[in-house]
Amino acid sequence: MIETLASQVVSGLATGCIYALVALGFVLIFKATDVVNFAQGEFIMASGFMSYTLLIWCRLPYWLVLLITIPLSGFMGMVLERIVVRPIMDAPIFSIVIATIGASTIMRSAAGIVYGYDVLPLPTIFSKDPMRLGIFRFTMMDIGVIVSSLLIMLVLYLFFQLTKTGTAMRATAQSQVAARLMGVSVRHIFSMTWAISAGISGIAGVLIAPIIYLDPNLGVIGVKAFAGAVLGGFGNIPGAIVGGMLLGILENLSGYFFNAGIKQVSTYILLILVLIIKPSGLFGAATMRKV
Amino acid sequence: MRHWHRSCTVLIALVVILLCSPGLPTWAEDGVTDKEVTVGAGLDLTGAVANWGVNIKAGMEAVFNRVNEAGGVHGRKIKLIAYDHVYQPPKAVANAKRLVERDKVFIMMGHLGTPTTKAIKDYLEEKHIPNVFPATLASLWTNSGKWHIADLATFADQTRLIVDYLVNERKFTKIASFYQDDEYGLDGHVAGRVRLRELGKEYAAEVDYKRADIDFSSQAAKLKESGAEAVILQAVYREPPRLAEQCHAIGYSPVFIGVSAIVLDKTIELGGKHVEGMIGVEVYPDPNDPGPFLDQYRADMKKYFPNLALDTTNLYGYQKAALFVEALQRSGRNLTHDTLLQAISTIKDWDPGWGLKYSYGGDNRRGMSRSARMVVVKDGKWSKMTDWFELEEMRRQ
Repeated sequence: MIETLASQVVSGLATGCIYALVALGFVLIFKATDVVNFAQGEFIMASGFMSYTLLIWCRLPYWLVLLITIPLSGFMGMVLERIVVRPIMDAPIFSIVIATIGASTIMRSAAGIVYGYDVLPLPTIFSKDPMRLGIFRFTMMDIGVIVSSLLIMLVLYLFFQLTKTGTAMRATAQSQVAARLMGVSVRHIFSMTWAISAGISGIAGVLIAPIIYLDPNLGVIGVKAFAGAVLGGFGNIPGAIVGGMLLGILENLSGYFFNAGIKQVSTYILLILVLIIKPSGLFGAATMRKV
Repeated sequence: MRHWHRSCTVLIALVVILLCSPGLPTWAEDGVTDKEVTVGAGLDLTGAVANWGVNIKAGMEAVFNRVNEAGGVHGRKIKLIAYDHVYQPPKAVANAKRLVERDKVFIMMGHLGTPTTKAIKDYLEEKHIPNVFPATLASLWTNSGKWHIADLATFADQTRLIVDYLVNERKFTKIASFYQDDEYGLDGHVAGRVRLRELGKEYAAEVDYKRADIDFSSQAAKLKESGAEAVILQAVYREPPRLAEQCHAIGYSPVFIGVSAIVLDKTIELGGKHVEGMIGVEVYPDPNDPGPFLDQYRADMKKYFPNLALDTTNLYGYQKAALFVEALQRSGRNLTHDTLLQAISTIKDWDPGWGLKYSYGGDNRRGMSRSARMVVVKDGKWSKMTDWFELEEMRRQ
C-alpha cells in the first residue's frame, strides 16, 4: 500500500506541476494587468497543436520543435493582448473577462476546423516505460515533467529578481502609476507579461499533450489550474505554484481512497473549504484598507 | 340566394380539384413527403467520442448518397439531419427537440451514445418518434417497447461472452471491471457481475471513471492492488490506452479485454505498444473482410469519403443505413411509423452480403443480436482470435 501511495503522489505531483505552470500564467497576467485571462487553457491547447504540426506535419526534430513552439506561444499571447485586451483596457473588468472567454472559444473552434476534433497522440522525448527507486514507481515522463516545471519556475524567479525587465514587471504589478513615473513603459510590460504567461502555458502544453492526448478541448485543464491559483491565493506566485501541485496530488489520492466521482469534485471541495477558512487563499494576504 | 349558390359551387369545385391533385400527400407523418424522407441523428461530432460520431455519420451518408443517386427508395430520397451533442445528455435533449419539432424528422436514426440516447428516450416515446438502430449497444434498447429498435449484440451479451472466456478458457479467478460510470458502462458491468455470480465468483475490483476523464492513475493503483489477472473494459477508445499505459507504469500487466466500443484503430494509434495483446469483441465483420456487402461499402466510402480511412466506426454507420434502406423497401410507398416498424419485423435471416444475418419479429428487437467474435491487438492491428459465436440473450437485471 505504501508503494501505491508513493506512486500516486509522484504521478499527482507531475500533473500538479502542469497545473502550477498554468496557474502561474493566470497569476502573472492578473498581477500585472488585473485581468483574469480565461483563454489561458487554450494557450496549452494551441502550443500542443503547434508542436504537433512541427513534429508530425513538418517532421522537425524535437529540440527544434521546442525552440520554435515556446516563442511562438509567447507571440500568440502578445497578439491576444494587443488585439483583444488592450483596446478594451478601460472597460469594466467583466467585459475583459468575457472578451477572453470569447477568444478561448475562437481558438478552440479554429483548432477544431484545422485539425478536426479527433484525439491525436503526440510523441515525447521522455519515455513512458516504468522505473523504480525504492518505494517509488514512476516513469521518465513523470520525472521529466516535474524537473522541467521546476526548472522553468527557477528561471522565472531569477528573471524577476535579477533582470531589469523582470524588476520593471514587478514594479508594474505593484503600482502602474509609480512604474510609469520611473520611466517604465507599462504597455511594453503588459505585452511582455502576456508573452511570458502564454510561453509558460505553451511549455505546459508541450509537456502534458503527450500524456493525455491532444484535442481542441485540451484547454479544459485551465479550469483546474485556475482553481489551483485561487487555492494558493490568487495574485500570489508561490501560492499559485503550491496550489497547483497540491491539487494534482489531492486529485490522485482522492481517486485512490474514494472513487472517480469524488476525484472529480475533490478540487472544488478543497477550494471551498480553504476559502471558507481562509478567503485569501493559502498564501494570499488579506487586503486591509484604512478607514 | 344566387350569390350563396355560386359560392358553394366554387367551394365544391376547389375541394374536388384538391382531392384529385397528384401532389396532395395521402399520409400524415412528419418527415415524409412525396419525394423525400427525413431522418434525424444526434451524434458526438466534437467531443469525447467524436471518432465514432464523425465516422458513423459518414457511413450512413455513404449509403444514403448511393441510394439517392439511384432515385431513392420508392421514389423518395433519404435526407439525414445530424446535430452535435458532444456526448452530453443535456445537449442531446435540446438537439432531439430541434430535430423533432423544428426539422420534423420521420425517425431518429443511429443516435450515438447510451447516456445521450437514454436522455431522449422518454421524449421520443412521448412524441411517437421511433428510435431506430441507435448507435449504442445497451440492452435498454432491446426491452423498451415499440419505439426502440436495436440492431446488434448488446454490451451485456458481449460481457457475458467475455466472462465465459476468461473463466472457462483462461481459467482466471480474479477478474476486475473498469467501467464508465453511467448507463453505457453499467450495462456491461452489471451483466458481468450477474454472469460471474452464476459461475460462483465475484469481481476482484470494480473501478469506475467519469465520462471524458483523462487520468486513471488511481484506478490503475486500485486494480493492481486487487491482483486481478484480467480487467474487463466497459470503455470507449481514449480510456483503454491510457489505463494500460498507467498500469504498465506501476508494474502491472493484466489481460485487458473490452466490449466492441474499444475495437477501432484509434485505440491502437493512441496506445501503441501498451495495447499490444488487448482483446476486444466484434459484433460485425471487419472493414477489410471479403464479401459483396463489404465490397459495396469499400466502393461507396471511396467514392463519397475518399479522405476517410476504412474503419469499423464508419462500417457501423454504414450497416445501420443499409438495414434501414431494406426496411424502407419493405415498407412500400405507403410510409408511416407503423408500416416501417411492421416492415422491420418482417426481416428474418436477412444477409446483406457479409455472411451474418439480421432477424426480427416478435420480441426480438435486436436484429443481428446473436453474432460476436473476439479479436486481439497483434503487431499493431486488430486480428481475429475466434470464430463467430451465437450469443444467448442477456437481459439487464
